[in-house]
Formats: sequence, structure tokens, C-alpha cells
Amino acid sequence: MKLVDFQSLFQQRVLAGSGEADKPLLKKLRLSPRGATAETLLGVYQSGYRIRLAEFVSEDHPGLRAILGDEAFEALVDDYIDQRPSRDPNARFFTTGLPDFMRESARWRDDAAAVSMALFERAMVDAFDSPDETQLAVQALAEFAPEDWPRLAFDFDPSLALLELAAGTIAAYDAAISEEEQDKVEAPPAGDEVEYAAVWRVNYESAYHALEPDEYVALNEARAGHAFGDICQMTAFQQAGEIAPERLAQCLSSWFQDGMIIGVRVLGEDQSSKTPSSA
Amino acid sequence: MEKPPPLGYGLGLRPIYYEEILSSRPPVDWFEIISENYMLAGGRPLAMLERIRADYPIVMHGVSMSLASTDPLNLDYLRQLKALAERVQPAWVSDHVAWTGVHGVTLHDLLPIPYTRESLAHIAARIQRVQDFLKRQLVVENASTYVSFVDSEMSEHEFVREMAERADCLLLLDVNNVFVSSFNHGFDPVAFIDGVPAERVVQFHMAGHTDNETHRVDTHDQPVCDEVWALYEHARRRCGDVSAMIERDDNFPPLSDLLDELQHMRDIDARISKERALTAA
Repeated sequence: MKLVDFQSLFQQRVLAGSGEADKPLLKKLRLSPRGATAETLLGVYQSGYRIRLAEFVSEDHPGLRAILGDEAFEALVDDYIDQRPSRDPNARFFTTGLPDFMRESARWRDDAAAVSMALFERAMVDAFDSPDETQLAVQALAEFAPEDWPRLAFDFDPSLALLELAAGTIAAYDAAISEEEQDKVEAPPAGDEVEYAAVWRVNYESAYHALEPDEYVALNEARAGHAFGDICQMTAFQQAGEIAPERLAQCLSSWFQDGMIIGVRVLGEDQSSKTPSSA
Repeated sequence: MEKPPPLGYGLGLRPIYYEEILSSRPPVDWFEIISENYMLAGGRPLAMLERIRADYPIVMHGVSMSLASTDPLNLDYLRQLKALAERVQPAWVSDHVAWTGVHGVTLHDLLPIPYTRESLAHIAARIQRVQDFLKRQLVVENASTYVSFVDSEMSEHEFVREMAERADCLLLLDVNNVFVSSFNHGFDPVAFIDGVPAERVVQFHMAGHTDNETHRVDTHDQPVCDEVWALYEHARRRCGDVSAMIERDDNFPPLSDLLDELQHMRDIDARISKERALTAA
């Protein structure tokens, strides 16, 4: 058998797991001098494959396991392993496709709480090793003249993800990762209610907090590059209720304190940017 | 062939030990990283590595090069690996006599091959291409295997020796893997060690494994067993001053336990040196 055919066969049998169809490959194996059956030895690769991939998912998704329960979580992991074999040589990225898989799968897409938790946990994992940037302190604003403030725009840490989640996702995650409350995690209630979260990295650890609807909109608009003074006027904002300039300033201050902001610039009339030294 | 100078006694760098390494600066001569764990955009792993790299030599050990695969070489992977090597400036870069998948799939395992002339020509050519791409000599490790094939035309050590000669690569002799595979397939582990070209061996791996009675599995979750220590002594006598290290990947003990294993290695080597000095005198 050519190497290319051998590898296709071997991989097929590892992906499928042990069964009758192993026979052509089993015939290719030498007898164990220790009395192990060929099925047992091939099984080291077959079971090892599933155990390893399942561990990757478990490590990244403690909240999902907590709200689904062990049995349903393991069924989900089995489905995912069967239907989305890993294609990235770096094991770190095996779990990246899980939320999308759930949204596309007839079996899982209607479980809004589970999909929401998977999205949240993916954001946590992604934040952990996203590109490095230097966060700015709020004092950076002192470099800008007061008349420029309405035209200030902000750059955000690349780890920042803004999420619309099923209501209760964050509380369930808090409980799942807490040693005391681990056993009493409740799945978020079914329904259309939502909550908002920011996920980012600070001091080399992934961080998160819930956002009020107005802050979620403001942060989305600020991250899209809109100037401070324009954000209050935006149509998107009106849907989330009024926001006073004082409230926006308060939000801005907390974004600095939380280490989300990495750049400040003044937008010109033509939306071009100027740095403080040229402002 | 340019053999890099030996680094002494090393440990596999694992996140659980980051803080202790940084705070206590343990008496370890060098660390080996799993390359893929640092092939990332940023964050804590790279920051910790940078701080540890400031004080210790580093060796990069990969698990995903898939040298024996019949898929095309993954150039994206190799580019990322090369970028990491430029950043880390490792003493060398290693991977395995193994494949990890075909048809674009990766099984995240070190899979076995039949030791045929076809496999030999294939892997030797791939190693040469990787060496050309990385612009450095590759260090290639014998993997643990649980199955062997009726199609094999040579022994594993004959395969490894011929592969190293043809590709002009260096070797990482995993002593535990030799033991595990010899147990599973019934070959003589001493003959394996005697059969590999000692002049190409730049590194030893030592690790623990799981004994399932009819077969042993390379789990890196236990201390090194006595039989593997005995084999280490034989490998040391044959290969001389080679960088040696302990790999631990699960069931992590206190760092001091791993330092004790390194000390055991040093004690064996000191005894061998003393015997040699007495014989020479």
C-alpha cells in the first residue's frame, strides 16, 4: 500500500472510531509481542483523538458544560468532533468554530442560552492571546485642547469584543467558574431578553463586565471611530434611549480605567485624524 | 552538519510553572517550549516566554510539522514557526518522525508510519525542504508508537539513521519513547540506541509513561521509571555530552520534583564521568 493510501485509511479509521470497518487496517498491523489485540492498539489512537479534542472544548467552555449538564455537553462535543474535524495545526484554535457550529446545527441552534454562552466563552479565549497593545490612562486626554474634545475619537484594544447575549449568560458563567457556586449553575431562562457584555484583556488575563444598553451602543459607536461629540446624536443611540454628555463622559472614563483604550485622536472636518502633537 | 554546543539540563516550560520560575530562578540550564503554544498574536504566553528567555536559553519543540504526511507542507505553519524562531532565537528547532493528518485535517497526534523505503525518501525530502525554508538544521525526534506495520521494510532505528543521513538533520533521542516503542513492538531498546548515529544526537528527552500491562502509552504524567533511567545511562554513555531534559505535560508535581529528577540525571552523568576518569587514569 502506498504511503498516501495508508495515511488516508489510518486517518479515516481514527476519525470514525473503532468498528467493523477497521478490518482492512487491522490486517496491516503486526501482532503485539505482549498479547495486546490489534483493536486495542489501534484504539489508543482512536480513543486518544476524541479524548484530546474533548479536553480542548472542556477547557475553553466551563460555562457551557455547566448550563448544559455533562450528558448534553458531551453530546455536543461528540457532534462537533464528528462534524468539524480540526484543520488548524495549532490545537488552540480547534474550539473557535464551536459557536458557529451550534448556530448552524439543527440540534443546537434553538438553544439560545447555550449558543450565547459559547459565544461569550469564545470571546474570553480569543481575548487571552490577541495582539499586544499599550493601554492609555485617562490622563492622555490632558494633551488635547478642550475645544477639540467633541471631535476626539478613540482606538480600542484589539482584544475588545462587544457581545449581545441571552439574559443571564454572565451570571451563569460567574457561577460556573466559581468554586462555591459551581454545582448550582442555572441555565439562563428561555426567552428573547438580552444583556450586553464587553470582553477584553487586561494585565494578561481575559476580563469581562456587563454593559448597560446605552453604554453598549456608545462603545460600539466609539469603536467604529465616531467622535465623542457625535455619538450622542446618533440614530443608533436613540433606540437605546437618551444619553447625556455627562453619562458618556462617565463611560469614557471607565473605558480608560478598564484598559480598553489604546489611542486618542482628533477627527478633522473631513474625518481625517490628528495626533495630539499636531493638534 | 553543525552540532550546536550542549546546553546542560533542561525542563519543558509549562504555564503552571511560569510564576515560580520567574520568582525563584530555579537551577535549570535551559527550557524547551512547545512551539505551537507560542504561535499566537500576543498575550500572557509570549510575555512570560520573553521574560524567561531573558535569563535562560530556549529550545523550540513542535508537534505539528507533520514531517511524514503526504499532504503538502503547511507553509502558513512554517512561516509562523519561522517568525517565532526569529523572536525567540532558540538554540534549535525540533519536531517528530510522525504525521498529524492528511486532506487538510489534523488529528493533533503523532501518528505512526510504516518504515518503508517510500516513507524514508518522503520524510527525508520533506526535512530538507523544511531546513531550506527555516534556514536552519532541524532536530528530529523518534516518536512513541503503539502499532507497527507488516509493510515495514526496516527497523525504526535503521529508518531514523538513514533519514538523518539523507536529510542531514540532527536528532532528538527520546529515551522514554525508545522504551515505550520497544515494549510495544518487542525490539531491543539498547540496540535502538546503539543503532542511531550518536554524532547527530543533540538532545535527550526523558519522561514518564503509563503501563497498561499489554502496552505502554507515552503520557508524560508520571515520574521517569527505573527502566528508562537505566536506558538513559546507556544513551549517555553512547552519545556523550548531550543536552538532556524532563518533559512533564499532565498530573503536574511541584517544580521541586522535576528539579529532583534533573538532579538524578546530573548524578548519573557525574558517576559516568568519574568512571571514565578512573579508567583513563
